[in-house]
Amino acid sequence: MADIILKAKSPLDGFSRDWPGITLREVTGRALVSVSIPHGGEAALGQKLSQVYGTIIPAVGESTASPVDNAHLLGLARDQFFILFDEGGQAPLAAVSAKLAEVAYLTDQSDSWAMLHISGPNSRAALARICLLDLHPDHFQTGQVARTVMEHLGVIILRDGADSFLLLSARSSAQSFLHAVTVSAENVT
Amino acid sequence: MTQVFRIEGGLINRAKPLSFQFNGRAMQGYEGDTLASALLANGQRLVGRSFKYHRPRGIFTAGSEEPNALVQLREGAFQEPNTRATVAELFDGLTARSQNHRGSLEFDLMAVNDLLSPFLTAGFYYKTFMWPKAFWETLYEPVIRAAAGLGRLSMEEDPDKYDKGFLHCDLLVIGAGPAGLSAALLAGRSGARVILADEDFRMGGRLNAETLAIGDQTGADWAASTVAELAAMANVSLMPRTTVYGAYDHGIYGALERRTDHLAHSNGKPRQVLWRIYSKRTVLCAGATERPIAFGNNDRPGVMLAGAVRAYVNRYGAAPGKRVAVFTNNDDGWRTAHDLAAKGIAVAAVIDVREKAGVTAPNGVESFLGCRVVDIKGRKGIKSVILSNGQAILTDCLAVSGGWNPNVHLTCHQRGKPVWREELNAFVPGRDLPVGMVVAGAAKGEMTLGAALKDGADQAAEVLTALGRSVPAGDRPTAEDEPSTGTAFWYVKESSKRAWLDLQNDVTVKDVKLSQQEGFRSVEHLKRYTTLGMATDQGKTANIPALAVMADCTGKTIPETGTTIFRPPYTPVPIGALGGRARGRNFRPTRLTTSHQWAQDQGAVFVEVGPWLRAQWYPKEGETHWRDSVDREVKGTRRSVGICDVTTLGKIDVQGRDAAEFLNRVYANGFAKLAVGRVRYGLMLREDGMVMDDGTTARLGECHYVMTTTTANAVNVFRHLEFCRQCLWPGMDVHIISATEQFAQYAVAGPNARNVLQKIVDPEFDLSNEGFPFMACGEVTVCGGTQARLFRISFSGELAYEVAVPARYGDAMIRALMQAGAEYDAVPYGTEALSVMRIEKGHPVGNELTGQTTARDLGMARMVSKKKDCIGNVLSERDGLNDEDGLALVGFKPVDRSRSLKAGAHFVAKGKPVTTENDEGWMSSVAYSPELGHAIGLGFIRRGAERHGEIVVAADLLRGELTEVEITSAHFIDPEGERLRG
Repeated sequence: MADIILKAKSPLDGFSRDWPGITLREVTGRALVSVSIPHGGEAALGQKLSQVYGTIIPAVGESTASPVDNAHLLGLARDQFFILFDEGGQAPLAAVSAKLAEVAYLTDQSDSWAMLHISGPNSRAALARICLLDLHPDHFQTGQVARTVMEHLGVIILRDGADSFLLLSARSSAQSFLHAVTVSAENVT
Repeated sequence: MTQVFRIEGGLINRAKPLSFQFNGRAMQGYEGDTLASALLANGQRLVGRSFKYHRPRGIFTAGSEEPNALVQLREGAFQEPNTRATVAELFDGLTARSQNHRGSLEFDLMAVNDLLSPFLTAGFYYKTFMWPKAFWETLYEPVIRAAAGLGRLSMEEDPDKYDKGFLHCDLLVIGAGPAGLSAALLAGRSGARVILADEDFRMGGRLNAETLAIGDQTGADWAASTVAELAAMANVSLMPRTTVYGAYDHGIYGALERRTDHLAHSNGKPRQVLWRIYSKRTVLCAGATERPIAFGNNDRPGVMLAGAVRAYVNRYGAAPGKRVAVFTNNDDGWRTAHDLAAKGIAVAAVIDVREKAGVTAPNGVESFLGCRVVDIKGRKGIKSVILSNGQAILTDCLAVSGGWNPNVHLTCHQRGKPVWREELNAFVPGRDLPVGMVVAGAAKGEMTLGAALKDGADQAAEVLTALGRSVPAGDRPTAEDEPSTGTAFWYVKESSKRAWLDLQNDVTVKDVKLSQQEGFRSVEHLKRYTTLGMATDQGKTANIPALAVMADCTGKTIPETGTTIFRPPYTPVPIGALGGRARGRNFRPTRLTTSHQWAQDQGAVFVEVGPWLRAQWYPKEGETHWRDSVDREVKGTRRSVGICDVTTLGKIDVQGRDAAEFLNRVYANGFAKLAVGRVRYGLMLREDGMVMDDGTTARLGECHYVMTTTTANAVNVFRHLEFCRQCLWPGMDVHIISATEQFAQYAVAGPNARNVLQKIVDPEFDLSNEGFPFMACGEVTVCGGTQARLFRISFSGELAYEVAVPARYGDAMIRALMQAGAEYDAVPYGTEALSVMRIEKGHPVGNELTGQTTARDLGMARMVSKKKDCIGNVLSERDGLNDEDGLALVGFKPVDRSRSLKAGAHFVAKGKPVTTENDEGWMSSVAYSPELGHAIGLGFIRRGAERHGEIVVAADLLRGELTEVEITSAHFIDPEGERLRG
């Protein structure tokens, strides 16, 4: 049916709001693909990564970065990491598949997560209301990543700057997650 | 009357006068006052009535241990009962009311209880209101509850907000008195991350209440300058108004921060925040609580702990009386006399139980050594005190000191037991402290200022060393050790009047003796029988003197008698704070499918399925009953085409070289030979042989599968698979990740399903029965190039497909499907129509997969392949699970077709009594079948497979219904499955 074209919707409709010392934005235009390392395939994948992305497999809890597609590789488990990158002309899976198909198992996660970015000098105080992890910069440094739970919801948190965090949480409960974060911002400002 | 008892000095801000009301009377105070200090400054000594006897009561302490001065703060929905006036920070516009009186505070009609006191001793209720039994709930309890009690709730919803949070530190210092400040200062200077929490709004603890000096500064000035130094450190976080109320596992503490209780309005911000503090180490500097001495009428307004008298005079500039007497068993009492004299307040006398004291009274003050106070004259205030030598002393305030108890509470929260220190006559923390905790200062029994300062720093130094930090050099605060000897003296034996131990619960020396006489030997029993140590103050001032009385009665020592168990919270925590922001619909998260907005626009009625909201049915105008909508949706689907959002089903992406073998092991039926591009129904067993879940798994590629699970079991199955791959078969190359959130998935079912999908799926894909047969799957594109997955599977029994698109297109996809389906009168259908159609087809769901049913029970015994091993295979062969008389899933029709069926009904043979012995099984699912025109049901019954055609009784005793039903096949419609293959 050529006359129907499917229009994409982001999980939070492009949410954006500011509080004193806090900026909260939905992140759109970023794709996310999970990469599982085949048994015994670490060396091959590592080699390929360094060829095509110029980076290495991130350790669990760490991230690595690549100028290719502005990619961040988030180390989440011993045999799994996520690649977060700028969406281009290709579908997310195809984009990574073209580079890594032979050496890894890939799953598109771009539509699975709502992505929120929180930054500003009060962002840590806001997160302290829902995040049980220690986000002190000596303890959770820029580039570090963690899987955790906030208000009963699974969250992946990446520190991408001094007072700057990327939060990923499930798409279906994105409104509840957004509520949790906005209430926190509201409560500390 | 304006602050006639206000005196010079203190740490109040006289530039900021504040107005407040007590029982409707306007009064004035200053910034820095508590409600209690402001009431005293205004000459208000009578502030409440006691719990049981309605005796007039005044302010007894100056801290959180207050048993008496409980008031109701604020008004309307904001009203809060049982707040302690001694810690309620004064603000402009504060309103407070006294509690627990009928009529006015001055003339409480319930004070008659006091005259009846001979009858109202410990255990009175238990002994008196025994018969008739039925009267307890209907008459006795309501009357007793109305007569006794504390404040009242507003009965409105709490309009305040509350929040919770998490904090982390190297060192948590609990209490900002001399030891705490000393510890925090050293730790702060070392660069460690420090949290210093104190329940008071002004840090300094007793330093603010005493006149002792540190170096050449007053204690209060030193506290202020130390707090200022700490505040300037980025690594130190100061938390005033914060009570650390509980010590939990692994260095985790609970703390309540009162953020706006000192303000007239919260301005939309949380009133209180409940913190969970993660500490590497903790220094407990909780200080000590002064204890009273019990003697006749020692509960009269005007009797006050000596330390509290000093606090009111020194810190708040409020005189508790014009002519104060002191009754003590230790040196502290004498210091009270000196502090009062220094403020120009007349001291009537110092009465010390000791024959000798190493200290002297101020000039011109009479002292009585070896003497006791036996009684007090005056009801709503003191007129005079009567001494053991018969002498009466005119006074309006009696400062009492029975020594100090270290605040060991938090050291005992993990069942640690305090130990008795003879020279202190007090319990101090034992050895079994919570992990990571050390104790410093008065809380440990270092009772003098000099000792507390030194101990705070010493303990901090030890902890810093343990944390691998260097201990900063430099001066540490020092002070002289003030005289602090005392003797064990608990109650005045020659008092003939009632001598009060627990002011909050109206427990007297006599009650404790009576309880002992009546056989209550354990302190825990004493507590329950007399109510000693219960309620908001948890006996902070009462417990030790009462233990002493009990020890005296039994002839045991106090340490032999022991203490009751200390449990969190240290001081009361409002339920609102424990709830935090988890109220109403924010109690837990909600999951929405991508068609939610569209469904809402259609007027869908939603049902909660775990955290999901799913459309249950879509009412149309004119439909007055849910059945109207559901019947229409079922008929529309079976006649032409229906569309249902099935996004909530779990989807698990399984990849790896060993994925096929992995699935072969986790599913009971064979999966090794499933071809690429095909789907298979799979049955998963638990290790014990019971059915765990079912669903379909599609093979998308050589090493790539996508498994579906039931909505409810999505997480459980994922967890199970993760366990299998990580723990059972770590050698397998298998990788799983949830794809539930990634795709919006819609079932398109009915004879016209293919026609609708042909308009959606791009034309290069062949949807013909040959090109895409039943149980086919594949990657397709839809609507001009959007990537999608298509599965030819059917839950409804019709020709059906499920189409999955990336979730971003989910909203657009449902609209596209409905638009494409318009020419076929496509109906959206909800979970209820879904359920009707699956019952018509005999498909099991959670009602049947209860975790207690086997594949055999479900009629799927043959699916448990014996050609291979799988989880649950061996234990499914247990005799008990293979009983010839065992249950079987079959269908049921009411014999009288006009009758409805009820799930939960149990089956008994016709003519047999409805008893457990005759129970043959139960009805698990029921529906009205619009296709058949009558009710149908699925259920389990013994030997069901052999009994088709037999009539039994479905007995629903809960709803009082007995219905004759006929056993039939569970496949009510199209048993051969011709439709779904068409």
